Amino acid sequence: MTGRTEALPAPLHGARQGIDTALVGMLLFIASEIMFFAGLFGAYFSIRAEHTVWPPAGFKLDLALAAVLTAILVTSSFTMQYAVSRIRKGDRTGMIRAMTVTIILGVIFLAGQLYDYSSLGFGVSSGVYGTLFYTMTGFHGAHVLGGVIGMSIVLLRGVNGQFSARHHTAVEAVSIYWHFVDVVWLGLFSTLFLLR
Amino acid sequence: MRYDAAPTGSSKCARGLPLSLQWSPRVRSLVSGAALAGLALLLGGCSALYPPQAATSQGADIRTLYSIFMVPMIVIFVLVEGLIVWSVFRYRRRSGDNELPVQTHGNNYLEITWTVLPTILVLVLFFISWQTLNKVEAQPANPDVIVDVTGFQWQWTFAYPQYDLSYTGIADQGPVLVLPADEVVHVRLHSADVIHSFYVPDFLFKEDVIPGQVNNFDLNLKDAGVTYSGQCAQLCGMGHSQMRFTVQTMTPANFQAWVQAEQAKARATPAPAASGQAAGPTLQLSASNTTSFDESTLTAVAGQPFTVQLTNKTAGAPHDFSIKDSTGKVLFTGLPLAQPGQTVSYSVPALPAGTYTFFCSVHPNMTGTLTVK
Amino acid sequence: MATTVLAPGSTRTYRRSALYEWLTTTDHKKIGILYLTNSFLFFLLAGSLALVIRTNLALPELRLVDATTYNQLFTMHGTTMIFLVLMPFLAGLGNYAVPLQVGAADMAFPRINALSFWMLPLGGVLLFSGYFFGGVAADGWTSYSPLAEAKYSGSGTDLWIVALLLIGTSSILSSINFLATIFKLRAPGMTLLRMPVFVWTVMVTSLLIMLATPVFTAGVFMLYIDRNFGGAFFDPASGGNPLLWQNLFWFFGHPEVYILILPAMGVISEVIPVFSRKPIFGYRAFIFATLLIGGLGFSVWAHHMFTTGSVYLPFFSLMTSLIGVPTGIKFFNWIATMWRGKLTFATPMLFAVGFLSTFLVGGLDGAILASPPVDFALHDTYWVVAHLHFVFFGGTMMGVFAAIYYWFPKMFGARLHEGLGKIHFVLMLVGAWVTFFPMHLLGLEGMPRRIADYSPAAGWNDLNTIETIGSFIIAASVLPFMWNVFVTLRGPRDAGDDPWDGYTLEWATTSPPPPYNFDHLPPIRSERPLFDLKYGHGARRAIAAESATVEGTHS
Repeated sequence: MTGRTEALPAPLHGARQGIDTALVGMLLFIASEIMFFAGLFGAYFSIRAEHTVWPPAGFKLDLALAAVLTAILVTSSFTMQYAVSRIRKGDRTGMIRAMTVTIILGVIFLAGQLYDYSSLGFGVSSGVYGTLFYTMTGFHGAHVLGGVIGMSIVLLRGVNGQFSARHHTAVEAVSIYWHFVDVVWLGLFSTLFLLR
Repeated sequence: MRYDAAPTGSSKCARGLPLSLQWSPRVRSLVSGAALAGLALLLGGCSALYPPQAATSQGADIRTLYSIFMVPMIVIFVLVEGLIVWSVFRYRRRSGDNELPVQTHGNNYLEITWTVLPTILVLVLFFISWQTLNKVEAQPANPDVIVDVTGFQWQWTFAYPQYDLSYTGIADQGPVLVLPADEVVHVRLHSADVIHSFYVPDFLFKEDVIPGQVNNFDLNLKDAGVTYSGQCAQLCGMGHSQMRFTVQTMTPANFQAWVQAEQAKARATPAPAASGQAAGPTLQLSASNTTSFDESTLTAVAGQPFTVQLTNKTAGAPHDFSIKDSTGKVLFTGLPLAQPGQTVSYSVPALPAGTYTFFCSVHPNMTGTLTVK
Repeated sequence: MATTVLAPGSTRTYRRSALYEWLTTTDHKKIGILYLTNSFLFFLLAGSLALVIRTNLALPELRLVDATTYNQLFTMHGTTMIFLVLMPFLAGLGNYAVPLQVGAADMAFPRINALSFWMLPLGGVLLFSGYFFGGVAADGWTSYSPLAEAKYSGSGTDLWIVALLLIGTSSILSSINFLATIFKLRAPGMTLLRMPVFVWTVMVTSLLIMLATPVFTAGVFMLYIDRNFGGAFFDPASGGNPLLWQNLFWFFGHPEVYILILPAMGVISEVIPVFSRKPIFGYRAFIFATLLIGGLGFSVWAHHMFTTGSVYLPFFSLMTSLIGVPTGIKFFNWIATMWRGKLTFATPMLFAVGFLSTFLVGGLDGAILASPPVDFALHDTYWVVAHLHFVFFGGTMMGVFAAIYYWFPKMFGARLHEGLGKIHFVLMLVGAWVTFFPMHLLGLEGMPRRIADYSPAAGWNDLNTIETIGSFIIAASVLPFMWNVFVTLRGPRDAGDDPWDGYTLEWATTSPPPPYNFDHLPPIRSERPLFDLKYGHGARRAIAAESATVEGTHS
């Protein structure tokens, strides 16, 4: 009400706020999403265990492109976290800039993924390997898209003057979500491209 | 604030026991104990609660295991139900009694007891069960007879690779699996399409028939000269309820004799008419699935034999061409079955004018109209 | 009987139509009632399907419906009962009671709460829409592949998949809501170990939903991809594995059955103590047992697959055997609660005792199935149908009705009539045993499940006829309940705050509660805050003080 946003008032004596309820909700949601991907990974490993030759003959992946995409996504996690650290200090402008970079990196990742799909020599109906590859990376891509949309909404709110050092739950929430998306990609990259 | 201790509206339930049941606690516990013991004996001895006597040695092991399990199950049932019924009667609130009972919160010794004792019980049962499992699943190296069972929508094929014999069932009855008693029979399960399950209740045994893998098990049949019925136990589509078969046991000597006779019969049967030798006009018929033929109507000339050439375009199911009249009487059964990818010609004798139904005897739901005029 | 006096001016209402209010509400109490109503309607629908099934089986080779229709009947019966009846019943009870019992004003995310609810009737409509579009699912609620693949089944399976995606998402969102509410919105003084047992069971159930349902979601997406995009997840010809479906399904499917029973056990743990006038015996043991069931529940799934020849039998047999122990702990604690209590038998308590005596059978006949050799004989037979109905109908549904009779006065300010309640209970108890107990015998005799008819030579006629009669007794039992609700809601709303002399916070406010739930809360120093207020040390002092001053304001 007074317009001061820098110093947080001391909490009431003995009162413990703990983590914001909305963040609890986001963490629980991410837990459920982890289990969703666990189902996909479980399918991958159980099918893989039944094959002596894996990937089956004729299935080639573009490791170089995937490595570049990995670097892009990991970088975007750093920029997202930077955005969070900026708004925690009350620097809305810094947050907006860092989030914009994050969103751009996310879009580049998606574009790169689509390019990868178009240049691969197999599809979802090319036997179980193709089905697994496209399903796993496809659902991950859908989650990236969801994150990009979420971040864009938060960015728009920031541009419209919302968020301060004290009130920026949505920024924290999308940041946690974005890191989750990144970690899932690291799992996918290691499993599909490195471990094979 | 003051609260009326008695919940309202339940006074009818709270009137204590009628005078006739107000026995002394000692008498009451004696009577209850006797009733419970009687109930336990009744339930334990009730043969309806047991599976039938098993026809195989593996099944007999399973039945023994079941009997071992039933003892603690019945004791627990009687004990716990008894405690529930006892509490319900003994601890009813007497009308007008508004005092709170002693507010016991718990008892750690009891908690430990009724955690540890049941754990020991289930572990003991688990180990006994594991022993039985090993016996049931044991497969000696050299079985006497090997049977390949193929399940497909909605029939069974029993093949004896050692004797080059094969039988596919027809319509509701399904095929007969002839087996020797007192010998080791090794069964291999194959699926041509979806998951089925090979189940014979008298064996106390079933195993799933899964595409892409071959499940197998052994049977040691105890009695010769008995017929057992079996059926599919895993939902496999429209014809699941009709996917039945029978098992017929023989002494080993009779079984060998049967094998010789069947092999002789197979040698003596002339090969099916080659596709070239057609009698009378030829009608074309094909089947691409197990629900219906591709053609729903056929026409033939009355009083003249004709040929039906059946092309089987389905991937995993055999078909044939059979005819029945309007009363349901089967007039013609086409043999042999057309296997997937095969074309077989069936020579149909002359029929009087009328309307008939043609069908596949393996999949009786596949029907069409044959108009003869 | 206490009456809470609300702060003046707090009951101002807006003028808008009741229909708009119900359609747009985010109040957990109204949403809870919406869940219960939706569930009850689907209960009638799925129950009617069951009556057709039972009528068809009453005599051999009756063939009232053709085989495909029959397969659709039990598929829709099972799917509807589990996802559109039992789960939402429990979600509805949780929605209504949990915020009240923890002393909160609403759930953590009220709008997501509303979204969770409305996805259910939509999912139900989608599921049944197949009747207008060429057929509904017919592959069993378990939808095993390859039978569920496009090659062997119709478009009804696609509708089944989409409906379950909606319903599953609804569940997951609602479970997140419950957990956030329980973790963050408890009233001051309510530590975790002072929460009512019902709230603990809802918490563990929500954890199970949150962790297990997404695996099922992944599985049905895979089935959809197989069916519509040429995928090969479950197709052995293209490198896939039909058993992958079963593993994914049952990894969810087994925790699912604990999802369906734990909140009902929580209800029993509320009702028995109140109607025994004692605290729950072994509160911490209950918590421990609930957590153990939840945890162990993730390790037993392959006991549904013992006959597939692809399971490491000893491990799953061991874990399945162990999971009977915590349920046993609960049973002994419930009996110990009644022991030396002062029992009254209003309808909620009747259903609680009915739960105990019926669920016991379901637990025991399931324990027998934990042994793989015995399972080889009994799997996929009517023994399993007996087991699942004893636990879901004799267990969960009895718990649901106990809860409805228990909390109805809180929801609507009027107690359901006892006479009609007793008739409902007796018909339901008798109907359940007559319908489902003989199924054990049929299973032992070798009658497989999911068959549309059976041979007259099998000797299964009499038991089937008896079971059909039982199913109509169950159908009849619903009538006094519906009449009861109708008559009660037209009668006076005079139940008061605390008709049962309860222990937990929901009875410390008006019936029904105001939109914000509590005007003020009693101090919370144990798991029975209202009991402490009425009968604890503070109460005796208050009674003494009150009688020494002005006379009390109410009876």
